[in-house]
Amino acid sequence: MKRCTFVLLILCLLLTGCWDRRELNEISITLAMAIDKVEDEYQLTVQVVVPSEVSMKTGTGRSTVTLFQAKGETVYEALRKMTVDSPRKIYPGHLQMLVLGEELAREGISESLELLSRDWEIRSDFFVAVARGVTAAEILNVSTTLENIPANKMFNTLKTSEGAWSATNGISLNELITDLVSDGKEAVLTGIFITGDQEIGSSKQNAESITPAARIQYDHLAIFKKDKLVGWLTESESRGYNGITDSVKTTVGPISCPNGGKATIEVIKFKTNVKGKINNGNPEVDIEIKVNGNVGEVQCHIDLTKQESIDELAKIYEDELRKNINQTIETAQKKYKTDIFGFGNAIHRSNPREWKKIKDQWDEKFSDLNVNIKIDVKLQRMGTLDNSFLEKMKD
Amino acid sequence: MGFFNKKENKETIKSSSSVQTNEHNPKNVLTTNLQENIHKIKSLLGKSSDIIFREIRIGKEGSISAGIIYTDGLTDTPSLQNFILETLMIDTKMVEIQRKINPDKNLITILKDYAMTVGEIKEMTDFDLLLTGLLSGDTIILIDGYDQSLMISNKHWVERGVTEPSSQTVVRGPREGFSENVRVNTALIRRKIKDPNLWLESKVIGERTKTNVAVMYINGIANDKIVKEVNLRLDNITIDGILESGNIEELIQDAPFSPFPTVYNSERPDIVAAALLEGRIAILVDGTPFVLVVPALFIQFFQSSEDYYQRADIASLVRLLRFFSFAIALLAPALFVAITTYHQAMLPPALLISLAAQREGAPFPAFFEAVIMEITFEILREAGIRMPRSIGSAMSIVGAFVVGTAAVEAGIISAAMVIVVSITAISSFVSPTYDIAIAVRMLRFGFMAIAASFGLYGITIGLIALILHLCSLRSFGVPYMSPLAPFNISDQKDTFIRLPEWKMFSRPRLINQQNEVRQQNSESAKPEAPKK
Repeated sequence: MKRCTFVLLILCLLLTGCWDRRELNEISITLAMAIDKVEDEYQLTVQVVVPSEVSMKTGTGRSTVTLFQAKGETVYEALRKMTVDSPRKIYPGHLQMLVLGEELAREGISESLELLSRDWEIRSDFFVAVARGVTAAEILNVSTTLENIPANKMFNTLKTSEGAWSATNGISLNELITDLVSDGKEAVLTGIFITGDQEIGSSKQNAESITPAARIQYDHLAIFKKDKLVGWLTESESRGYNGITDSVKTTVGPISCPNGGKATIEVIKFKTNVKGKINNGNPEVDIEIKVNGNVGEVQCHIDLTKQESIDELAKIYEDELRKNINQTIETAQKKYKTDIFGFGNAIHRSNPREWKKIKDQWDEKFSDLNVNIKIDVKLQRMGTLDNSFLEKMKD
Repeated sequence: MGFFNKKENKETIKSSSSVQTNEHNPKNVLTTNLQENIHKIKSLLGKSSDIIFREIRIGKEGSISAGIIYTDGLTDTPSLQNFILETLMIDTKMVEIQRKINPDKNLITILKDYAMTVGEIKEMTDFDLLLTGLLSGDTIILIDGYDQSLMISNKHWVERGVTEPSSQTVVRGPREGFSENVRVNTALIRRKIKDPNLWLESKVIGERTKTNVAVMYINGIANDKIVKEVNLRLDNITIDGILESGNIEELIQDAPFSPFPTVYNSERPDIVAAALLEGRIAILVDGTPFVLVVPALFIQFFQSSEDYYQRADIASLVRLLRFFSFAIALLAPALFVAITTYHQAMLPPALLISLAAQREGAPFPAFFEAVIMEITFEILREAGIRMPRSIGSAMSIVGAFVVGTAAVEAGIISAAMVIVVSITAISSFVSPTYDIAIAVRMLRFGFMAIAASFGLYGITIGLIALILHLCSLRSFGVPYMSPLAPFNISDQKDTFIRLPEWKMFSRPRLINQQNEVRQQNSESAKPEAPKK
């Protein structure tokens, strides 16, 4: 009996374990993936790192990445079909960027994401973006400078701009799927596009010149209804969107001075609270925004040594912010009729019973939703100067 | 299970060897005839040229013939001449007087009691003991007409002095180390502990080498049961020769097939003295500077004597560092193999790409690479130890550099593997005792193998098995992993960290049961606050 148990325990050890052994030089490290829809088939493009070119020592000056492409009726089929071209099996464990074609996005993205959320090898923390104006495959076909792996450049640019400028929004697959399945929030994705000459873009020269002929840039947000792309926000609307959804980390906001001229407020803390409620049977949403900022730049004549003028600037910023947010909400309500802000979720949280009643006609209700905005701006510091040297130049 | 096997083995050794060594007839005693005795000794020793036979005539007008026998090189010749030959041949006055007073008295006894100006002297009739004494360096005096002999202990031979130990070196701490002479070694310990309770039991082990073995412990602190067990195990040894304490260690250790040592050894008197004060038992073996200490616990192999001479804070941090490097030495190559071949997702992308770049064109799998590098390192290490000292260290450095660098440049081995193997090697040298480093050295290959076939899962299983094994070990009845398993809160003061001296008020609990208190008034040594 004892021996039997012992043998069983040994078998437990031997009959399991990690069967998927592969050496580092047997895998293609895929950092970016693009999915397009071409003639009812999925066209899958992967950007694979050429490790020896990335390394300083062994690099020969050839491109650091290479593309493999395959078509299939399903995404998985296309992924496996790729091995007819690629010498190594695609390893998507470190995927950083997923680019979806605009055409695919207009037809619906959810089917194409199923594999990515199911496969155990793929992490779901990569960013998803929508190619605007070009196919997703073309986005991967541009060489970049500074970050010599284009996928890294896309990932880092999105991360930096979302943190410092807040007109883009890095949405990971997890967040995207949460939005897709949620009744009270529609999905939003950052757009990505190419400026300049695409022909040269894919060549190594593109990265070698000081001014690359083609660049990859992020565009504003694409808004979805269910899983279909319905339109694009403008830049200021994108920033408004980020403000409402509490996705602003830091940003700057240009404002007009009371006596003409311009000034800039540097936002260092931006906190938004969205609360839903039912008022006399009608849903209502309160948005409370708290902003801590600095006076970042003053191009006009104003006496910053006085508290009143600081308060005045804060008031102006508050008004502009309110205008911007109102504008954004109106676009979503009137033009696209899609609740990208998650107001539905806010109401769901505050009053689940009422939400059940209204959730089927939420799109109509959302269009007429009353939104109360409360903004509190605090300006704290103003850099190393008090009054601008422009003041002295006047004298 | 293993313990019983071992006991059976011992018994078989005993029975077989007792047959071999029974060469002399039981009635082996001296006769009254001097020539017969000398002849018998000569024939037994096979005319060995280092045994000196000197026949002299003593007494009134040289009426009595006597023989002096000693081993050249083991006997102190000046004292032989000054105190033995001179007494017998010139200063015979005292003997004559005594013979006149007590004509019935034995000449041997008179010589012993009234004439010989030497320290240790024994009357001896047994032939075997006499031979043993002779070969240990004693001088034998035989007198015609008496079946007794005098055995004078004037041993003296050239030996290495007390020098700085080459293992377990410290920055701060005593510089003296044990030498090959067991008497010198016991003296070194006595000089540190001047307690009447420091007891010493001597044994002679080895049918042919007749090696002196001393068991030292502090009576009243050491656990009597363990002392008894040590004596029992030592008495059970029946072997032809003991040349080093390692021979004894292998014969008395609890788990002969475990890679982990259950007997501690040290070249440093301060370590042994500290161990005695903790209630441990030291076994000193003549002919080696390495003194055994039992019971030995796992934690003990991570403690350096310097831990107690340095400030407690740095000593604690350094000790934690030792455990950390123990883990590195055990697992680093295995983890590297497991992660790079199974769990690439665990690496940050930049690191993964960099590692992948190094592996481009590498001909061997990562596991094979690791094994090649580890074996190369083991070869270098072994060569470095065995080579003549003057070229040893230089060769090992150059060897490592050339082999490592050249292998990477040639693209046979990836650079990351060389880094991992180097870190592993350096980490394995951090442990203050060599024995535990050896255990790690062997286990490392096992871990690499399971990592290569089962990934992190395998490493986890391996670690669980290792911990189970460690917890099952005992050293002379004390659980090997104590005070971790079984856990003892008070002994944590000197386990992973070392608390300040004024907090260490008790001896280790499981080793010592009867006398626990190390210091009274164990609160702090803080100066009193000035009164206002």
